[in-house]
Formats: sequence, structure tokens, C-alpha cells
Amino acid sequence: MKNPDVIIVGAGADGPAAAWKLADDHGLDVLILEGGAFHGNKQWPKPHADAGGTVSTDPADLDGKLLDEQFTHLEADANDPTWGYLRVGPADHSRAPWFRNLHQNAFIWQISAVGGTSLHYFANHPRAYPYAIDTQDHWPISYEELVPYYQLNEEMTSTQQAPMTGKEEVFIEGATNAGYPLIDSKNVTETGWRPQANAVEVPGRETSNGQPLDADYEGSFSYDDGFRGDTLVGDHFQGSSTPVDAPVRDKARKSSNVSYVPPALDTNKDAEKGNVAIRPNAYVTNIETTGGPGSIEASGVTFRDSWSGMTQTVEADTVVLAGGCIESPRLWLNSGLPDDGWVGKGLTTHWFDWVVGVYDDDTIAEINPDGEHMDPYIGQNSAVRFDKPGVGGMEDIGMSPGLVSYADYLFSQAGYSFDTPVDPDEPWDTRGYVVGEELKRRMSDYRQTKALLILTDDLPRQDNGVSLDNTFSDEHGAVPKIKWSPHPDDDAKRDELCRIAARIHREAGAEHVHRCDWPPLLLHMQSSMRMGKVLDSNAEAKNVDRLFVADHSALANGLGGPNPTNSGQALALRTADKIASLYF
Amino acid sequence: MTRRGVMKGISGIAALSMSNATIADAQAALTDPLPSDPHTADTYRSIVDAIIPRTPQLEAELGPEHVPGGLDAELEKFLIWDFNHFQEIRSEMVTEKVESETGLSMPTALFEFDLDLGGLGSPLDALLDLADLTLLDLLDLGLNPDALEDHLDFGAVDSIDVGFADLDTSTEGIANFEITVDSDGEQYHQVLQNYPYAPVFTFAFDVVAAEFLAKGKNEEPPAPNEKFPAGGTFTRLAPEDRLRCLWTIVDGGAVDDLDELLSPMLPDVGILKYVVMAVNGLHGFGYYTEWSGYGSTKAEMPNDREMEVPAGEVQSRTQTDYPGPAPGYAANWRHAVPGGFKDPKAKNLNLPDDLAGDDVIDGLGGGSQ
Repeated sequence: MKNPDVIIVGAGADGPAAAWKLADDHGLDVLILEGGAFHGNKQWPKPHADAGGTVSTDPADLDGKLLDEQFTHLEADANDPTWGYLRVGPADHSRAPWFRNLHQNAFIWQISAVGGTSLHYFANHPRAYPYAIDTQDHWPISYEELVPYYQLNEEMTSTQQAPMTGKEEVFIEGATNAGYPLIDSKNVTETGWRPQANAVEVPGRETSNGQPLDADYEGSFSYDDGFRGDTLVGDHFQGSSTPVDAPVRDKARKSSNVSYVPPALDTNKDAEKGNVAIRPNAYVTNIETTGGPGSIEASGVTFRDSWSGMTQTVEADTVVLAGGCIESPRLWLNSGLPDDGWVGKGLTTHWFDWVVGVYDDDTIAEINPDGEHMDPYIGQNSAVRFDKPGVGGMEDIGMSPGLVSYADYLFSQAGYSFDTPVDPDEPWDTRGYVVGEELKRRMSDYRQTKALLILTDDLPRQDNGVSLDNTFSDEHGAVPKIKWSPHPDDDAKRDELCRIAARIHREAGAEHVHRCDWPPLLLHMQSSMRMGKVLDSNAEAKNVDRLFVADHSALANGLGGPNPTNSGQALALRTADKIASLYF
Repeated sequence: MTRRGVMKGISGIAALSMSNATIADAQAALTDPLPSDPHTADTYRSIVDAIIPRTPQLEAELGPEHVPGGLDAELEKFLIWDFNHFQEIRSEMVTEKVESETGLSMPTALFEFDLDLGGLGSPLDALLDLADLTLLDLLDLGLNPDALEDHLDFGAVDSIDVGFADLDTSTEGIANFEITVDSDGEQYHQVLQNYPYAPVFTFAFDVVAAEFLAKGKNEEPPAPNEKFPAGGTFTRLAPEDRLRCLWTIVDGGAVDDLDELLSPMLPDVGILKYVVMAVNGLHGFGYYTEWSGYGSTKAEMPNDREMEVPAGEVQSRTQTDYPGPAPGYAANWRHAVPGGFKDPKAKNLNLPDDLAGDDVIDGLGGGSQ
């Protein structure tokens, strides 16, 4: 694409949503530049081994069986932060990941590839709490203005209520016994529990033998044999290319490579619409501008091909940053654009924690007469949640054992449990890292173990965020330096949610409750280029015309705690409309 | 297009014949896909053994599959591989100059050091020489030189030399690093395409362990450990003390106290807190995943790894009763909200006045800017 109207930097959860809207509804030509790989695309049959093609514009390039081959469903192969196929780094797997300088006990969990971090998400698509948008005072727009975009995004991503399987029934037992009501609205204003709104098709929408998908189902799970919809495997963190054999657009879980990339490429087949081209392995190193001093405007970008090392400058009428909360501010700062003190700042992360319940067989048998175990690898990874506007939320999680051992027992800021006393007034039995014989003992109970993820409503603060590192640089410029620490208010909210989680476990009959006391896990990152500070209410940069941000960094706060994908995408769809009305 | 780290060879057959190592051991080391010097291997082995030990005591209660530990799966190789592939350095981004006009260039000195323990004096003397510090400087830093001198030991290491291999800063590309470790008369030489953090971290752990002992934070006395004969101070700590020692990096000020002593060896001492997160967490990414099932390919480059053990038969998976990935599961399920969520159009939204309900903690909700 020689003369795009719009360049989008990054094909993560949000960039493809904006691209689709710009091309489909507004007839604009869009070039998406993505730093990482493009999986499941015939142009790149071996995306981690050789350079492959240059650009994809044809929906026929998408190949679901190729995706099945590349997404092996193996945990380390997928998730190892150094060598997994879902990591932040160049597509070439003989190279190290991209370095981010992190001077703390913390972990950044992101993915560079078409689909971005939505490649390993649980597909949870709740909306922001109206509270967080209308009364926390950060947002220049109202909740009501976002609702139509939420509705459009939910349609595009097949968002619906998640299915209840064995582990969810245990959560519901606990939440109900603790006195919490069922919430039946997407616009959550009160405390209670509800099924996740998630971007996964209904389980077994069609099956290979016409029988319903339940414990008696003996048919195939292959698309080629007629299976449609979710297959109830908790493999989302491994990429989740199920049903196997399905075309990319018919995979059950709607990561943006499934939900938005196919219709974005479809626009190339319709003369009435604009065109979308996606170029992976293209890391943008500079935002080009014209004008100044005083008012400047974006005129294009320079990118570097990560296989050949060649650089190229492309001009466009508008530029949209969608590289995520770390890469968007890094690119801005490396481009020398004006910084009024908030670029990269205000980072929020839902100040997570993790409360683990271990159950005995009899308790589970009583709740689930049909099931011997909870089996955290069966059903969706996270299908039920708890909401408490003003404080945050939590979600019930089941995963495969490598992820469980890491998240449940090997990630803490409390030190080792053998040295960590537990306050007798607190409702958990143990806290901190669990190692040695005790770790093996706990992991031997893996099939009767599940955790509750705490999502705290941490608020944006200028001390937290992304700056340029003054020691290391790579081929893209100075590397990002990341810092996040909680405010005492955030700690208090997190403690409250952990106590509720422990109570829910207890009320369901857990025999052992463990609080991990996680250090910062930078996964649900938001707000590092927030509306109201760096951006105006159109998500256009206040200090650079024709430069927009359409990723989670544009969110004005942490949404109150709900997972950010739905809001990030909804806002990106709105921003696409704003771009079209302002400049085209 | 893999640029696998290669070990060019072990020199000193004469010395070899005088050691306990056999020619077969030497040959095995030569063909090992992950060559590492014994100090590095034993240091990570001592961490693996502290976090996931062999547990014969569990056999009667839980079964024989619960006996093997992380060392039985060679998990130290996982840690070493991951740390040695942690950060790529580009040739064109480094400079021979110590200071550059842009402030972005990285001086070569940042990535080079040569610690020689073979001369006169103690390991601490060698380290002070490297750091250009004196015993008095240590006192100024609030450290106890005598206690550090008593405790600091780098095990079997006689010298370690880290630097660029054939650096050409005028050419774009990935810089290769050369690391040479002399250990008990044998020489271990590797060329890697990334900064060789794995061996370097182990020296930091020994220094932190010496400070840990100097401050009397250990709960058991240190002792030579025959399981990790090439290791230094760190490996001589009791298993739980090894972990307590690592924790002082995160929550004991060890990095701040030791910054000047450690900085010649580490391009950035601050990342040690992240490293402690990783040292613990990698047991989850390695041991409890399918990693050990890659068998002889487990330390190859990612594209060359292949499952050699069925996913459900991997050591840790027999311990968790996890069958491995499947294309789908026949399981009972239901929807919790019959008919789905209520969701009026935006114009019909009628949100309550008090959007936070009655659940906001009193006095909280602030802290924003």
C-alpha cells in the first residue's frame, strides 16, 4: 500500500478493530505495521524461522490449520517469556526477546504478534463499571457514549455469557453462600457475581454427531467433522486455536486476529470499501512530523524490518499509535515528540492478587454430583466473576499446571511461606512463595485447586509508568524503563477483595486457602497515554495534530477493575469514527 | 539461521587427567547442547534443589512419581538457557567511548570484565580490584570487610573473563559475547549471541550470600555441599537459607548495599530484583510445563525442540495428574443467566445516581492525579 490514509502502529487487540472500522465504514485505506509475527497466515508459513512474505491483504492468506500447527497448546512452548511463541520479541526465535528494563520484583506479560496480547487472553469482555467512567472524574466522555461501541464490539467478538462447568459451580456455591446476588446486567452498578461476558462462542454450537456437548458427548471436536463453537478446553493462554481445523475466523475464541483481522482484510474484496494491509515484522522506530515550532502534525512513520534490517518511511494523512501501554509511549519519546509530563505516565494494572483454594474430593462431589474433580483445565479459563464497583472485582480461574504452579505458588512479594507468618485475623491459611515438599504436595492436588484473580481499581498516578532507559538501547532506540508501585489506597482495596475471595472459597468448602500476595503483574495495562491528559476527547494527541492513540493506553483509568479488552476495542472503534469525521 | 552458542573446546588435557573427571565426562561436556562451567551449573542446581527437591518421604503417601525433583528433569539447564537468552546487544549500539553526545550509546566497558582469582589475596581482594575499591571504601558503604572476606568464595572458579567476540561497532548486527571460565585447571569457553547473564548472575549470588552470612541472616550454618562441589558461597547455604539469601535482593536492601561491588560484573545491577522473580517463576515455566518432555532437545533453540515424551507422561504431569492438551472436552455445562444479560440501548440506559453503590470503602477512591 503506497499511499495509506491512515497508518496504524501495532496489530494488537485494538489496532485491527480501528482498521476494520476505518476501511469498512469510512472507505479509508489503512496500513497496519506490526512489530511481531503473523501466525496462521500462508505468507509466513514458518513465522519464527524465516522472513516469509512482506504484507498480507488477502483474506485467503489466513489459514486455520496453519494456526493449529503453530499454536501447539503446549504451555512452555507458548508462554515461556524468553522463547515461547507468545512472547514480546522479534519473530525470529533464534533471537532474544525485546529487553525492557524493570528494576523490581515484577513481571510484564505481553505478546508481540498480530493479535497482540489478545492471543493469550481469557477472552473476558466485561464493560467498564459506569462508576469508573462517570464519577471517577478522569474521563472526558460519558459511559453512555461508549455503550453503542460496546454493543458493536460485543457483536463483532461474539461476546456472551460464559458457560458454567465444574469449577464455576464451586464458585457459585461460595458466592451464593456468602450472600452475593447474581447480576444479570452488562452495566454493573452493584456488588454481586455473574457469568463472565466473554468473547468465546457458545460451547458446541454444532457438534459432529448432532448430540449436545455434555458429559455424554462422544463425537469429534474437529471443524472438519462438523464441530462449531467452543470446545471447553482451558488452553486460552496457549493461543487457543480451537476448534481444530477451523478457519481462522471460525476459531471459538475471538482474539483480534480472529474477530477483526478477517473482516478487515475482507474490505479489500469490496470496491465500495477502503483497503487494509497488514505488515508484520515491521517495528516502527519514529513518528515523522511536519511543522513546528509550535503546532506540529504527524505525517508518517519510519519502520524497520526485523528480518532484513531495512528501514523505510511511509507517509499518511493520519497516524494511530496502537502498540500498547509500553510501546506507544516509548515510540513517542524516542521520536522526540513534546512531553508535557504525562506521556507514559499514569500506568494502571489492576493491582492484581491471587487467592488459591484447595478442595477435598467429598466437597466437590457434593457440589458437582457428576464430577470427581474440578479439573481446572476443563471448561473456559475464566467463566465467572465477582464485581464490586468502587473497589474492583475478581474472577475464577482454571489453567494448566505450569501456569498454575507459577501463579499459585511461585510469584509473590511476601517472601517464602516458610518464613511468612499469617495474621490470625486474616482468612487465609498461608501466604507467599510455596516451595519444596509443600509445593509438590499442593501441586499433587492440582485437579482440586482453583484460584481467584483479584482485579483492584488502581487509579492512575504520575509516578507510575514508562520512560526511556538511560543505559540500554536496541535497534529501535532507547529501551523502555518500567515502574509501577501501588498507592496505599490500592493496597487497601486489594486486601478487601482478597478477604472476600477467601470468604467465597471458605463458603464453598475449601480445605486450604492461600494468598499469593503477588508483586506487580503488568498484564492489564492501561492509561499510559490517557485521554484527558496526553489525548483529547477524540483520542487525538493534544500536542501533535493528526496523531491518535487507539490502544489500552488511551483509557483514562483502569475502568474500575474489569478486564480492559472490551473497553479498549470499543474506544478504538469510536476513535476510528472520530478520525474519519475530523480529517476525511 | 540459528546462531547457537558454541563451546569451542576444553583445553588442558593434562589438567584433566589430574582431576577426577574422565575423558568421557569431557566428551559429554563437549557435546552438551548447553555447555556451562561447573560453578554456573552447580549454583543453579542448588536453587533448583531448594525449590523442587527430591522427596522420597512422599512416596508412601502419594506414590513413587512424587519422588523425583527438579534436578531429575535437569531444570538447571532451563534456567541457564533462559538467562543466556535474556538480552540481545546490538553491535551498532555500543561504542568504545565512555561517554557519548546522545547519551544513548552503550560503552563496551559496560559488558566486559575479567575477574582473576588466581593471584595473591582473597576472592574479595580480586573483586575489590575489579571494582576499583578498597577495604576502607567497603566500610564507607556500610559493609563489614572482614566478615565478607571470611565468607566470600567463588568455588571452583579461578578466573572469569567476559567480553565481546569480534566486535565491530561500525556494522549493524547482533553482538556476540565470549565467556571464558577457568575452573579447577579446566577451561570453559563459550561464544553466545547474547550477554551471558547466566554465569554472571551466579557470581552476584555468591557476593549476596557472603553479605547474607556477614549480617548473620542465615538460620543454619553454611557448610561445603558435596552435591554442588564447584559452587561458591551461595551453594554452601542450607536450602532454605539459599532462598532467604535470594530474597534479601528483593527485600533486604542487598542490591543497594552491594551495588558498587556488583556493578563491574553486571551491566545493570537493578535488574537483579527482576531476576529473583524469574529464578522462582521459571520453575513454573519449566518444571511444571512440558519442558522436560523435550528430552535431548530441551536446550536447543526453540524451533529445534521436539516433544520426546507424551505430554501426559512428563515427570511433573504424572505428579499433577494432568493429561496434557486436548482438542476438546465432553463436560456438563449450563448458562447461569437464562435468556442472557439485560442490555438496553444507550438512549434507554437508566443508571442509578449512586454508581458506586454502598460498597466503596470509606475514605478510599482518592490517590489519583
